[in-house]
Amino acid sequence: MAAVRYEAATRRYPGSERAAVDALDLEIEDGEFLVLIGPSGCGKSTSLRMLAGLEPLDEGAIRIGDRDVTNLPPKQRDIAMVFQNYALYPHMTVAENMGFALKIAGKPKSEIKQRVAEAAKLLDLEPYLDRKPKALSGGQRQRVAMGRAIVREPQVFLMDEPLSNLDAKLRVSTRTQIAALQRRLGTTTVYVTHDQVEAMTMGDRVALLKDGVLQQCDTPRALYDKPANTFVAGFIGSPAMNLHTAKITDGGVSIAGVTIPVSRTTLDAAAAEGADSIVLGFRPESLEIVSADTQPPGFPATVQVVEELGSDAFCYTTLPGHDAAEGAGGVDVIARVDPRTPPRKGETLYLRIRPEEAHAFSTVTGNRLPS
Amino acid sequence: MRHGKYRFIVSFLAVPLGLYVLFVVSPNVQALIYSFTDWSGYSDEINFVGLDNYARLLADETFWIALRNNAVLLVVLPVVTIALGLLFAYLINVGGARRGVVATGLRGSKFYSAVFFFPYLLSVAIIAILWRQAYSPRGGPVPKTMAAVGVDPPTDGLLGSPETALWAVIGVAVWHAVGFYVVLFTAGLAAIPRDVFEAAALDGANRFTVFFRITLPLLWDNVQVAFVYLGIIALDFFAIVNIMTPHPEAISNSTEVVAHYLYTRAFSGDINPQYGYASAIGVALFFLTLTLAAVMFRVTRREQVELG
Repeated sequence: MAAVRYEAATRRYPGSERAAVDALDLEIEDGEFLVLIGPSGCGKSTSLRMLAGLEPLDEGAIRIGDRDVTNLPPKQRDIAMVFQNYALYPHMTVAENMGFALKIAGKPKSEIKQRVAEAAKLLDLEPYLDRKPKALSGGQRQRVAMGRAIVREPQVFLMDEPLSNLDAKLRVSTRTQIAALQRRLGTTTVYVTHDQVEAMTMGDRVALLKDGVLQQCDTPRALYDKPANTFVAGFIGSPAMNLHTAKITDGGVSIAGVTIPVSRTTLDAAAAEGADSIVLGFRPESLEIVSADTQPPGFPATVQVVEELGSDAFCYTTLPGHDAAEGAGGVDVIARVDPRTPPRKGETLYLRIRPEEAHAFSTVTGNRLPS
Repeated sequence: MRHGKYRFIVSFLAVPLGLYVLFVVSPNVQALIYSFTDWSGYSDEINFVGLDNYARLLADETFWIALRNNAVLLVVLPVVTIALGLLFAYLINVGGARRGVVATGLRGSKFYSAVFFFPYLLSVAIIAILWRQAYSPRGGPVPKTMAAVGVDPPTDGLLGSPETALWAVIGVAVWHAVGFYVVLFTAGLAAIPRDVFEAAALDGANRFTVFFRITLPLLWDNVQVAFVYLGIIALDFFAIVNIMTPHPEAISNSTEVVAHYLYTRAFSGDINPQYGYASAIGVALFFLTLTLAAVMFRVTRREQVELG
């Protein structure tokens, strides 16, 4: 087991001007479960493959423990990887698949057998050890791929969207199993996914990438509560955080003619950048419905669609002066409302942001402003 | 409806089947009949001689030499061609060693695959003539190169010496065929997911292990097909022998093969044509081929591996 460190690791694909991974600085502690997340093409898989040694670095370095592995081939890095499509050896049985690395390493047969048996027990694969991968279900194949990694007892586990080929229900249960297994084994794990639920539920920390650049790396809670910029704010959370460009007025910002109080520090920081507005962010659940004459007042919003999910209901609303050119799909503010008494379509609500639950971002840089 | 369906099927099958019987089955039957006669092929004198031709065949030393040469070809040609084909296909597609990249081809692999395939585009006759020149003891590049590296080429030429002639001919056949198998195996390799090779690299396999533990087992179906194709070529092998060494008897029959021996018995102007005897050789070759095909399909049968 060991810590992993990316030091300004950069990868440029030949013929592409933009770096796929741009000067990634990331430290993963010993035994930590780190999730790399981001939209398609953000460089999360490339980062993982760089760590695996399947993708060369153009600049920077990668360390595992105190070893610089930047130029080491994959087999010398003491890592094991679970691939998205599992990459099982089709001509070998489950047991042979899991024991392949040990066999190559020249371990005695009895030891291989024992370690494979242990891993098989851990993953409920004992009845299938003599089967070929084609005779297994998707979930079983996924477990064999996990088993192949576990048997090696490597310093680091790398997982590249290991759940994306499973159906929704199996994904949820396997998610929990993997997280529990990792806690139990205590092996440093880097996990790539595009599913934010996986990221939030599994990771000790989550690193969010966009266009090859690390946006923020923090605990899931911190990522949700204190997004570093508008991209993180919009990416984490479903439905997404409302992000609204609002003019600075006296003592706050104005949304739909209503002044929302914002701290002096924030306004000063925005003013220092020469901006006359800020991006105000607030999550759907940070809104409360108030009556028209409450003080401090809520801003008016017209309900366009109500989405009832059983446990929650979300109102998709437009503000007065909503630009009709955006089409019927245009929505200004999404609010979570009480699912037992959802508002009707076309109704006008007064929404108020709960104190301390608004986020302010710079219109210039998109970064979070101090509060 | 059922009746109509059969009529429909029969109407499609009748014509090709008729042609097949007329042009493939009936000559085989005819050859079998002629093999029991002493017909020369050009006269109207024809006598039934029973199994005389077959008795003569068993005692014919040249026939046994030809058979032995076919046997050598049957082993050497597929093994060498498939080995080289696999090696080249592997190097071109996954065996490269670019820094930090697994499962990629060698530098310039596109160029190599074109070069390897090129000989296959030429007709066998052209290749045989080309190589006869290359092997020529009078200034051919092959003997010259041998001399340059310190190996004395045989004075009668590589094709003129009984010790080297068969190997020289096999070399040409391998050179000709290997490009096709590079392409065949390349297609097979393309069907193997790249991440399987990456997984093997992470599991600590070196190129040697990857080849024998991953690539070869996953290409086994293709290898099997290649064995059958090359076996057929080895059993025939008429064209190259006939052009490169038209008179194998001059070099102790060292390049004689059954198909060519049959041809000389029936059609060569050097001896009295012996159509009946040639037919007996043909029948023998037919059954040998049949046996071999049966054996090959038994030996190479293995559990199919499903990719993906």
